[in-house]
Amino acid sequence: MRSMALALLALVACQRSDKPAVIAPTGVVIAPRGELIAPAATDPLPAHGFVTLDTSLKARRRAVPAEVVLRAYLGWFGGLAPREAFLRARGNDLFDQWSYYLAALGLPDHHVDAPRVSQSNTVMLATMGRMGEALCIRSIERDLRTRTTPLADRVIFAFEPVVGPDRAAFASRFDVLHRTFLGYPATLAPTTRTERFFALYRAVAARHRGGRLTADETAWAAVCTALVQHPEAWLY
Amino acid sequence: MRRRDALKMLAGGAAALATRPAWSGGSSPADEFFIFVHAGGGWDVTLWADPRTERRGLIEPATASNTDTTGLKYWKHAGGSFEPLTSRTGLRLGPGIGSLYDLRERLTVINGIAMNTVSHEDGTTFSTTGRHRAGGAISESSIDVLIANELGTSQLMPLVAVKFPSAFVGERLDRRVVPLRVGSVDALTRSFARSSEYLHNEDREDITVLLTEEAHDLAIESTHPAVFEQLKSQHAALPKLLSGDFAKAFRAPQLQAAYPQFEYRGYQGASNVAAAFAIEAIKRNIVRCVGFSLGGFDTHGANQRQHALQLQELFGTIAGMVKLLDVTPHPTRRGAKLSDHTHILVVSEFCRTPQLNPNGGRDHYPNNSSLVISPRFRPGPFGATDLEQLLPTDAGEFADGRRPIAPPDVLATFLGAFGIDPRRYMRDGEVVKALLV
Repeated sequence: MRSMALALLALVACQRSDKPAVIAPTGVVIAPRGELIAPAATDPLPAHGFVTLDTSLKARRRAVPAEVVLRAYLGWFGGLAPREAFLRARGNDLFDQWSYYLAALGLPDHHVDAPRVSQSNTVMLATMGRMGEALCIRSIERDLRTRTTPLADRVIFAFEPVVGPDRAAFASRFDVLHRTFLGYPATLAPTTRTERFFALYRAVAARHRGGRLTADETAWAAVCTALVQHPEAWLY
Repeated sequence: MRRRDALKMLAGGAAALATRPAWSGGSSPADEFFIFVHAGGGWDVTLWADPRTERRGLIEPATASNTDTTGLKYWKHAGGSFEPLTSRTGLRLGPGIGSLYDLRERLTVINGIAMNTVSHEDGTTFSTTGRHRAGGAISESSIDVLIANELGTSQLMPLVAVKFPSAFVGERLDRRVVPLRVGSVDALTRSFARSSEYLHNEDREDITVLLTEEAHDLAIESTHPAVFEQLKSQHAALPKLLSGDFAKAFRAPQLQAAYPQFEYRGYQGASNVAAAFAIEAIKRNIVRCVGFSLGGFDTHGANQRQHALQLQELFGTIAGMVKLLDVTPHPTRRGAKLSDHTHILVVSEFCRTPQLNPNGGRDHYPNNSSLVISPRFRPGPFGATDLEQLLPTDAGEFADGRRPIAPPDVLATFLGAFGIDPRRYMRDGEVVKALLV
C-alpha cells in the first residue's frame, strides 16, 4: 500500500514538473525544483507462491525392442554370447533352446513367417521371466555357492551374503543388485521398493529349508528374478 | 402385470428398436468366443467355395489329370471335372470342402471378394484388417484384436494368435489385448513352464504381485502411464498361467491325445494342434479369441495336384472344431452349448488363377472367398464372380454405389454382428445386413 502511495506521488510530481528528476553522482535524487529526496531502503519484493518445477520425462515411455532386452540380459549376466547364455541356463528344466522362443520373445521368426512383435505381451514377459530366473539361479551358483569366487569377479551378487539379513543388511546388498539392473541407487527409487523386495526376500526365505540352494540363496534368486523383469528395465 | 406396466415395457422395447443402429446385428455379451483361421498361401476357391467344372474363358477346371483325387471324400467325376455339391441354403461347393460338407446348412460362404492385390503380405493384411498395407506398414488392427478389445478384456488371455497375422495398431486399444503371438502352441506352454527345483510357484506368485504393484505405482507417477499399465495387467495375468496346470494341459502331446479327431500327420502336421488348443482354451474359458494359420496353399507348381486334399484337411479341422463345440457345454451359460456362442471366420489372402500355369500350378489372383460359421450369420452364399474370368461381380448397393464386396465389408459385418460399430475402428467397410440373421 505504502509503495503504491509513493508511486502515485511520484507520478503526480512527474506530471506537475516541467523537467525530469536527475540523479546526482552521490546517488541522491535531485527533484526538478531543486529539493533533495533522501534515499530510502526499498521494500522487499512481494513473496510469490512456491513454484513446482515438473522435471518428469515428457516423452512417452516405450517398451524396448526384444533385442534390447535380450542384449541387456546377456550384458548383465557377464557379457554372454547368446549360445553361452542358453548353455549356462539349461539343465534342471530351467531353460532350453532359444529357437523355441523366437516368436514368443517378439523376435521375427522366419521359420514360421512371424514378424517382429511391436508390443510386450504376457507370453513375452513369461519367456523373459523364465530366462531371467534361470540366469539368476546360475549366477547364485557361480557367485555365492562357489565360495572361492573373489568379490571382484562376481557378476551379479557382488557382496558377501549374510544369513537372515535384517533390513539394513538387506538394503545395502539389494542396492548392489538395483544398481546393476536398474542403473541407479535403490534409495532414489520412486516407491517403497526396498521394503517390497525385503518382504519378498523374507517370504521366499521362510518357504525354503534345504534343497539345491539355501533359504537365503533362494531368496536372493527371487529378488534377482524380480529385478530383471522390473517394469523400469523394460522401458526407455 | 398391470396394464400400465405392460404398456411401458412395450413402449421401451419400441424405443430400443427405433434407436438400434442400422449396422447392429444384435447385442454383444462378453461370453461369446471367436476362432479365426487363416489359410496361408492363397487358396483355390474353384475347389471349394466357387466351383468351376467347365472350361470357359480363362477357366481351366480341376480334372482327374491335374488333381490328385484319391482320398478326396466328395470328388465325383462328371463331364471331365467334378460334380459340385449343393446345399438347401443355395450353396454350390467343390470337393475340397471335405467333411465340412456335413455341416453345409450352417455355412455362410462369401464369394467374389475384391482383393485388388496379389501380394501375400498385402492380401493377408487386407483380409484381416480391411486396409491395404501403406508402404509396407499395417494401418489398422486386425479383426481378432478388435473383437478382443470389445469383448475380451476380462479374459485371462484375450487373444492368442498361433501364427495368425494379428495386428495391434493404434493408441485407443486396451493393452490387455496385445496378441499373444507364438509360432506354435508348444512355444506358448514352454514359456509358461518353470523348473520346480529352485523357486516354487508361491515364490513366483509373490514376484508377480510385487511387479504388478511396482508397475501400478510407476503408472500413477508417470505422465504417460499406458505402458506401465500394460505391464501391470500382463504381470497380473501371469500367476494363473504359471501356477495352474496350464502348461501341462496345453502341451502338444496332451492336446493330441485329448483331441484325436484332428489330423496331426497330414499336410499341416502338428499345426493342427492349434485347433485342439482353441477348443481346450475355450472350454476352460481362459481365452476370448484364438487365431491360427494353416499354410501350404501357395501351389504354383506340381503341388497344385494336392491342393484339394489340403483344403479337405483344412475344412476337416474346422468341421472337427464345430462338431466338438456342438457337444461341449458353455463354460458359463447353463444349458447352452458352445457352438451357439462360438463364431468362426476363415480367410485367405487371395485365390489362385483360374488357368493352370505351364508347371501345372495356379498363381495369385485378385479374387477371394471367406467362410463364416456363426449363429449370427445367415447360412448360404453371398457375392459372386463372373463365369469366364473368376473376377468379382457387383454384390449389391453400397454407400459408394454398386460394387463387389471387399474385405473391409466382410470385417465390418463381422463386427456389426456383435453390435460393435465398425466406424470406431475401421476407415472402410459397410455392414452387409443381408449376411446377418
